[in-house]
Amino acid sequence: MKSKFNLTFFAFLTLLTFGIVSMGFTRSEKSPDVKESNSVPIYGNWKNFTKDNGLPGNKTYAVRVDGDRVLVGTHEGLAVYEDEKWTTYTTENGLSHNGVIAIDVSELTGDVWLGTMGGLTRWSGGKFEQYTQMNSGMANDLVYAVICDGKDVWVATGGGAGKLDTYTKEWEIFTEQNAPMHEPWTYSVCAGDNKVWIAAWGGGVIEYNKKTNHFRDYVDPDGNMEIDLFPDDGVVHDITTGVSYSNGILWAATYFGLSRYDGRGWKGYFDHDSGLASNFINYVRSVGDYAYLCTDKGLSITDGESWVTYKKNENDKNGKAIITNGESKTEKSFSPSISHNFILGVDVQDDVIWVATSYGLSRGERIN
Amino acid sequence: MNKLRLVFILFMVLAFTGFYTSAQDNKMMYGNTPDSIFPYNSFQKAYKYHFVEPIEFLGAGREKKAPTGLTEVRLGFLGPLDNSPIVPLGLQMLNGAKLALEQANERGGYKGIPYKLMIHNDVGLWGAAANEVIDMDDEGVWAWLGSIDDIVSHVALRATLKCEIMMVCTGDPDPTFTETNIPWAIRVISDDRQSCYALANYVYNEKGHDRMAIIRTGDRYGRVGVMEFMGVANRMGHPVRMEERFATGETDFTMQLKNIKNDKPEAIIVWGNAKESALIVNQIREMGMQQPVYASDRIISQEFLDIAGKNAEGIVTTSQYDPTADNPALKKFQADYRKKFGEEPNVFAAHAFDGMNLIIKAIEKVGLNRVLIRDVLTDRSTFQNYQGVTGNIVLDASWNDVGKIFMGKVENGKFVFFPAAQMKERGHSQSMAGY
Repeated sequence: MKSKFNLTFFAFLTLLTFGIVSMGFTRSEKSPDVKESNSVPIYGNWKNFTKDNGLPGNKTYAVRVDGDRVLVGTHEGLAVYEDEKWTTYTTENGLSHNGVIAIDVSELTGDVWLGTMGGLTRWSGGKFEQYTQMNSGMANDLVYAVICDGKDVWVATGGGAGKLDTYTKEWEIFTEQNAPMHEPWTYSVCAGDNKVWIAAWGGGVIEYNKKTNHFRDYVDPDGNMEIDLFPDDGVVHDITTGVSYSNGILWAATYFGLSRYDGRGWKGYFDHDSGLASNFINYVRSVGDYAYLCTDKGLSITDGESWVTYKKNENDKNGKAIITNGESKTEKSFSPSISHNFILGVDVQDDVIWVATSYGLSRGERIN
Repeated sequence: MNKLRLVFILFMVLAFTGFYTSAQDNKMMYGNTPDSIFPYNSFQKAYKYHFVEPIEFLGAGREKKAPTGLTEVRLGFLGPLDNSPIVPLGLQMLNGAKLALEQANERGGYKGIPYKLMIHNDVGLWGAAANEVIDMDDEGVWAWLGSIDDIVSHVALRATLKCEIMMVCTGDPDPTFTETNIPWAIRVISDDRQSCYALANYVYNEKGHDRMAIIRTGDRYGRVGVMEFMGVANRMGHPVRMEERFATGETDFTMQLKNIKNDKPEAIIVWGNAKESALIVNQIREMGMQQPVYASDRIISQEFLDIAGKNAEGIVTTSQYDPTADNPALKKFQADYRKKFGEEPNVFAAHAFDGMNLIIKAIEKVGLNRVLIRDVLTDRSTFQNYQGVTGNIVLDASWNDVGKIFMGKVENGKFVFFPAAQMKERGHSQSMAGY
């Protein structure tokens, strides 16, 4: 009787152990009839562009949709796609530098502002106008980000952030001298709801209130670069690479993960605890409720709850979308897929997405 | 029944140890940091640990063919060569890099094509280094070496990521330089994190000091330099009593030293360039303070010994290498350097010589492709434990040199070097979350 009891007891404990252990594993489904996210957009029907079909170079840094045309920043100049034809503009046409790494279009004037490796360029009425350290009040010629905010144009450079008042033509520069940064290393800027946010490399996120002209900063509270002590205690790391704001949500990208701020609290996302493709985020752009994350291992789209991540297969042109809802993961295959997994820029308009990658540009259409 | 029980117990042990082993288990903690001084480690396991696995570069570019018809193989150099208080250090770094290239050209260059150094000055102003890196990209350099000033290195690092040119840093000891996760740089000189661990171990564990005061330069070199020491001192239970600052070029430190004197610390740490450090040491003694003095590694120079004179006796610092080591390669380098430049090489010359040789060896191994040059320099196998003139180069997961640190003590008017003692236990996390 005693032996029988022990056997039953051991069997029960064994099953219990298996149960506890298996709870730690994430379920993964793979089915052609995938349960797709109800909210996060899914794109397909991918078409890719490289040097072979019109781009001046394969490395594309930035993309912006401007009405019926698409502006693409490449290492070899600005490429413009219109009426299914590509036109390239370079320093010979008046660009500050052929390396075009940031683009924005003014809603007020329609002017195109280009952040290049050798200065800021305004493209207006068919003419290019250059702004550099030598001929204007810009802090540095390597312009990592440019945005248009009403009449103001903001740039982020390694020598500080700058604001150009296009009416007065005057620059205002923000560095460690007049803003809460240890150093003036700024790499991204965004605006919304009377505020401007600056990604300060090593300084977290700097918030500028346009009404009060006051700054405040958001840094990782644990104060150490080698750890994130608690998951949702603040921006996940002080080395921030991108900021984007829409619908009351600020998204902050780093090379260590993603942060979301709703004005009250922060939430952190890593590749091990969410659908984020990689913690190494080159660029973030938010449109409506969704953040588009350009990582070194694919493109992720999220509303903070559900995720869709696009990845290209290593050895062919095909790929997949990985759809994550909580613990559930499903996949959808594409042929072809995005051009490359190392993503540097993204823009969306209506149901079309454009993705700038390390090797070519991709265009997708919404399919859900 | 006993057998069954044994099997069950064995199964349970396996279930709760083997199954829960994470990918990070038994990885060394970042920076060779002992568990006891890892941030918060005594109180709270972090949710996420960084710099435990190297970040790979996953972008395109490996497919690019080497250009044909080249008449020179261009390599970049960025350093303080003009209009900076650390020009003497920059010139030594330049000379070390030049010597390595000249010797490579004497061996036939790269497949008969000579190497050419594209020299750029960093003027130490914010952001200027970014423009210099863009110029290097336009010049078509295959990799570049620099710099010393940490504000320059940080700005250049972000630009080199954008341009995708490999950066080999041989002079900037700022710990945060490699804490950026950027996979386009390695550092082949030990940083101030390693130096501060060695110094803290020496002053607290070996010398038994408790109450320390620091006087440091007010720039980033001073701020970030002592940052690690302050953190370690706190975790070892000896918070630094006082931190005073001075400006580069300052000659009268009476105000700061009066404050320190009134606080009666057991010992004083001076963190700055050689000249100011020597003047501070002199004024410490003139004011009657007899406490032991420790200093940052920039005091290892003839300039410091000349200015401080007899007051330098007994001062202890750290060093990223042992310039008196019995290393034939080092002795040949020192002889070649003396012959060509008419002076003794310093730490920046020696590390630049090693760094440029690594670049040359990488190119000879993989050819003229920036991404492949990056790949081989960061793979932590090809050149791991490379025996340079500065000793053994060991890169951690953030590509930071965690090779040996030495102590230097002034005895009879010259520096005498000896290995820094290792802290007893080295860090292994039992469970690093987030992986």
